[in-house]
Amino acid sequence: MMKQIFRNNQAVFGAGIILLLILVAVFAPKIAKYDPAFINIQSALLGPSLEHPLGTDSLGRDLFSRMIYASRIALLIGFIAMGLALGVGVIFGSLAGYFGGKTDSIIMRFADIMLCFPRFFLILAVIAVVGPNIFNVMVIIGLTGWMGMARLIRAEILSLKTRDYVSASRALGASHFFIITKHLIPNGIGPVLVSFVFGVAGAILTEAALSFLGLGVQPPNPSWGNILMEGKAVLGVGWWVIIFPGLAILITVLAFNLLGEGLRDALNPRVER
Amino acid sequence: MQNRKNRQKSKRIFLIPLFITIAVFFSLTISLPGQENFPDPEGKTGTPTYGDAFVVGEIGDARTLIPILASDSPSSYIVDLVFDGLIKYNTSVELVGNLAESWDIEEDSLVIVFHLRKNVKWHDGYPFRAKDVKFTYECLIDPKVPTPYSGDFKMVKSVEVADDYTVKIIYKEPFAPGLTSWGMPIMPKHLLEGENLLTTEFARNPIGTGRYKFKRWKTGERIDLVSNHEYFEHRPYIDRYIYRVIPDSATMFLELETLGIDSMGLTPLQFTRLTETPFFKKRFQKFKYPSFGYTYMAYNLKDDKFKDKRVRQALNYAVDKKEIIDGVLLGQGKVSHGQFVPESWAFNKDVKPYPFDPKKAKKILEECGWRDRDNDGWLDKDGRRFEFTILTNQGNDNRRMTAEIIQRRLKDIGIKVNIRILEWSVFLNEFVNKKKFEAIILGWGLGREPDCYDIFHSSKTKEGEFNFISYANPRIDRLLIEGRRTFDLEKRKEIYNKIHEILYDDQPYMFLYVPDSLVAVHNRFQGIKVSPIGITYNFIDWWVPRDRQRYTY
Repeated sequence: MMKQIFRNNQAVFGAGIILLLILVAVFAPKIAKYDPAFINIQSALLGPSLEHPLGTDSLGRDLFSRMIYASRIALLIGFIAMGLALGVGVIFGSLAGYFGGKTDSIIMRFADIMLCFPRFFLILAVIAVVGPNIFNVMVIIGLTGWMGMARLIRAEILSLKTRDYVSASRALGASHFFIITKHLIPNGIGPVLVSFVFGVAGAILTEAALSFLGLGVQPPNPSWGNILMEGKAVLGVGWWVIIFPGLAILITVLAFNLLGEGLRDALNPRVER
Repeated sequence: MQNRKNRQKSKRIFLIPLFITIAVFFSLTISLPGQENFPDPEGKTGTPTYGDAFVVGEIGDARTLIPILASDSPSSYIVDLVFDGLIKYNTSVELVGNLAESWDIEEDSLVIVFHLRKNVKWHDGYPFRAKDVKFTYECLIDPKVPTPYSGDFKMVKSVEVADDYTVKIIYKEPFAPGLTSWGMPIMPKHLLEGENLLTTEFARNPIGTGRYKFKRWKTGERIDLVSNHEYFEHRPYIDRYIYRVIPDSATMFLELETLGIDSMGLTPLQFTRLTETPFFKKRFQKFKYPSFGYTYMAYNLKDDKFKDKRVRQALNYAVDKKEIIDGVLLGQGKVSHGQFVPESWAFNKDVKPYPFDPKKAKKILEECGWRDRDNDGWLDKDGRRFEFTILTNQGNDNRRMTAEIIQRRLKDIGIKVNIRILEWSVFLNEFVNKKKFEAIILGWGLGREPDCYDIFHSSKTKEGEFNFISYANPRIDRLLIEGRRTFDLEKRKEIYNKIHEILYDDQPYMFLYVPDSLVAVHNRFQGIKVSPIGITYNFIDWWVPRDRQRYTY
């Protein structure tokens, strides 16, 4: 499978960018020259230069440093929120798929109900009540993003549980827990992983949108979304404040989507190679 | 003596002091003329013609159009066009009649007799009479009506209707802001009698006597007014007044450039950089004048952290106001030295703003017991970290940036500040009015009358009233009452100078800045005259030459 992924140029490109981003996020304090929250009014709205590679914002903070630190928040929210969604989705989906009957109906109808809400507005409403901060944003994005994954894993398990090796395992007296965790989930996780990668891209976009509306990451913590919001106010004077975070979001989301597509192709036996 | 209209403004919470502009538009007191004005080359002279519409952009929507309940600036802009008070200011900041033709002051200022105009009609055709004045007064003092303006009218002993066009106001004791307070817009008795002001349809469908008639209100979108052809001064030349809600100033500026709106308050950045283009100069006139208001950070004085005056003083030392003015206002404003602005006669020149001195701030905090005991970089006391959240409203980049600068400067001395930005009406209704905050950044628009009883008197702390910080100082209480009883201007000046001094020393607010009003108006509008009371006082005299009119009805 790995070979197939590596044969896919897009996926390799995506993975490369993601790896680079992770490195940047991990080594942010080493890469950024300035404290991202350091205010210096005298150097407000300077264009890109050697001193400030991406210019400065309206409070004179170094945009490059802010962007670097913002990548931490973007990845953190992307992975943790989707990790949460993955966890919830896999648990619900496998229970529904394995036990079927009433359990299945209850869980899947609940998922259907959740899917009925327009997700972004649900998130907005909940954030307005619980208050915006990084933790809340992660949890809410995670808890509203598990339904697709639950459906995928349920579908996989519905077909897997009729296989002979599952019957054999059951005949040998294996517990439900054992069968689900050892036989079913590992074999059915493929499509869910693809969905996870797409989900990370979606979560990063959602966070950016929330921060852009002032409901996500709160100042002075930089996030691509809230830098973008600040950039809107100085549009026409400081193009760099809006262009660079926009590009960062674009490239990151693109990278995750490319990787996701590569994974999907690699995992799909019906695709001609 | 001051006009009530302005006075009443004195307590309006400004949505966006920098976008005050439009407030400026409607009789908010503003001192001296615009330095920056690009006159229209064509047709400054000529005979005014009727027609066209004036479309103004604003960040926030009105909350209610009941005059005595309108305490926020968007509501008051509309109320001021639809309703009239008994008196108003003229351009030399003197009180002149509005709904009242003239008045007599009798019995050592204990009695004011207003002689009302006889040819005034409500927008529904019903004649305006003295009973409407009495009715408005009764609503103002009704304990069931949560109006922030009741304070001025509690001093009234009785309001007597002598005949249809004469009202006699009798005060319990001499009350200096008395005459000014009758700038309060008058409400129609025949429509509101017996109605519950909190639930009445009238709040969204007002009938007044004013220059413009209410037409419709699409919540969160726009309010349309049409000119009142029967207005007692004369029919306004501009046929329509359209108030558009655009909750973001960058978007609003784009609307201005594409002529979606004709006027807006500019941000300092827009004023200093974005409007300095030939494109803009060809189409718009710009105005700049010192505003009669200020922006502050208020502390909730019920909060233990802020109870000690020394702590508040320390915070004041730790924040560089100059930095905020340079960075946020781009120099378009002045440092605020306290409750009164430099243009006011109540302003005390001897009160000097604190210098920026973080070391001193740290020292004072240490004396108060705030020290970094656990070496985590933040000050603590009794095991609790010095941490608080600043709330402010959305859509106002200046306030957001100000909050970020304060956050940074307080971090330098070991205080952790969080910032939360809220939608305007949620911010006011759920947090400010209910006193659910630690600190907020907000602004006051002030009037000429310096009486600030409603803001700082310890009795004005109920929900919806203006002393939402729960400030209580017996000396200030006494002086505020004395100031209201004194008519002699020199003596009043002394009293308000004292109030100014004590308030600055007490630091119930961190006084931040007095922004300049920066306004852009499309240059097809003629007849705009900058005066000490702003530019919109003569809105009914603005006009557009026929060949330049954009809208026809």
